[in-house]
Amino acid sequence: MSQPVVLKSNPHGINLILDPDMPFTELKKEILKRFEESDRFFKNAKIGLSFEGRVLSQEQEYEILDLIEKNTTIHVVCIIENDERIDAYYAEKIRAFEDAQAGRTGEFYKGTLRSGQVIECESSIVILGDVNPGAKIIARGNIVILGSLKGNAYAGAAGDESAFVAALDMDPVQIRIGDAIGRSADKGPLSAIKNRKKVMEPQIAIVSEDGILIEPITKGLFK
Amino acid sequence: MSEVIVITSGKGGVGKTTTTANVGTGLAQLDKKVVLIDTDIGLRNLDVVMGLENRIVYNLVDVVEGNCRVKQALIKDKKYPNLCLLPSAQTRDKTSVTPEQMVKLVDELREEFDYILLDCPAGIEQGFQNAIAAADRALVVTTPEVSAIRDADRIIGLLEANDIHNTRLIVNRLRMDMVKRGDMMSIDDVHEILAVDLIGAVPDDEQIVISTNQGEPLVGSDTLAGQAYMNICHRILGEEVPLLDLDSKNGIWSKLAGLFKKN
Repeated sequence: MSQPVVLKSNPHGINLILDPDMPFTELKKEILKRFEESDRFFKNAKIGLSFEGRVLSQEQEYEILDLIEKNTTIHVVCIIENDERIDAYYAEKIRAFEDAQAGRTGEFYKGTLRSGQVIECESSIVILGDVNPGAKIIARGNIVILGSLKGNAYAGAAGDESAFVAALDMDPVQIRIGDAIGRSADKGPLSAIKNRKKVMEPQIAIVSEDGILIEPITKGLFK
Repeated sequence: MSEVIVITSGKGGVGKTTTTANVGTGLAQLDKKVVLIDTDIGLRNLDVVMGLENRIVYNLVDVVEGNCRVKQALIKDKKYPNLCLLPSAQTRDKTSVTPEQMVKLVDELREEFDYILLDCPAGIEQGFQNAIAAADRALVVTTPEVSAIRDADRIIGLLEANDIHNTRLIVNRLRMDMVKRGDMMSIDDVHEILAVDLIGAVPDDEQIVISTNQGEPLVGSDTLAGQAYMNICHRILGEEVPLLDLDSKNGIWSKLAGLFKKN
């Protein structure tokens, strides 16, 4: 950054763009310098202040406010938080927490889901029944179907690729886990019906390096 | 105790109207008082299949709008005096009637008839909502084609969502030769997918086309389809009738021949 401290005015106040690397005590001197230079311009102005370019602790923010109040005529009415990195950081933390919760808690649904029916769930879900073609289950966490999955299932709907879809009979049209999508083989619908498995085999779909992987649930699987 | 049955399918052209005409006529042959209501406003054709088009004076919309009394709009069948038709309007559309008005109309008819059959239009829009509003139970008609099955599945879900749980399935236009070759779904395949109890299977029979064109339902005649429809009527009355052997080529004659062979 060419200048360690930049003042940028906006319709409601000032964006204070700070060098992310400069030690804070030096930075404070730079900030003071900038404000003193522009004090005449901002004379007695009431502004909102926002910090950019650097994550500040609360004490540091207070120190800067103190500096401005004592040395200039500017009145800082409020601090506007618009640091995108902070927003992203918070969002990521919250999402990770919710995903973890979604994987741990769940709901039950009893009954067969027919074409056109959609279930959306903020946690994991257990379906006691079949999911027919044209029906859809969307869950933030995992999906367990005690029946046939013949429709669409979307687990880890907020992007959690560690989620899974398990079913007693796995014959889905499409499975999505996080951002990974797997679809059924291109066989005609009649052959799919005629060639359906006679014996149910519980299977689980997870995300692997090559996309969605479906494998039988056997004794050794969860070791 | 009267029973209101909606005949529906989702997909068009699978045989709702033919089924309504034949089941209604069959129940009348079994001495029940039956009224058929064509709820397909704007695409009226139950009257044509029943051969009663030339008798229409008033229709469903006239009744609902109060232009006439229900009795004035009911058309008596040519053969069975205990069978009536309430025809649909041809010049209006589905929005001319509301579900509430259908319930009121059907409640009025309940006092006089044993069975009220509602011929539902294709689709899941207002026409469907009107038809199912007053129904106690439903017959879902499907053919053994994947598209018809998919729509039937959707319809069964919508019926359940509207608190109609006593649904039975009719598999129509079954061709046993194709099923045997593995080119068509069998009754078991259909039953497996839809998980709804079957009330009857009707073979693909050219006699149906002939009878429809003549405006004379063939139920009860010695054709395979005629027997299949009569069996459905018996099952609606709660009787236990075994499934028809659709394999026999010439209906009752080959059955008789089969009897002789066994002896």
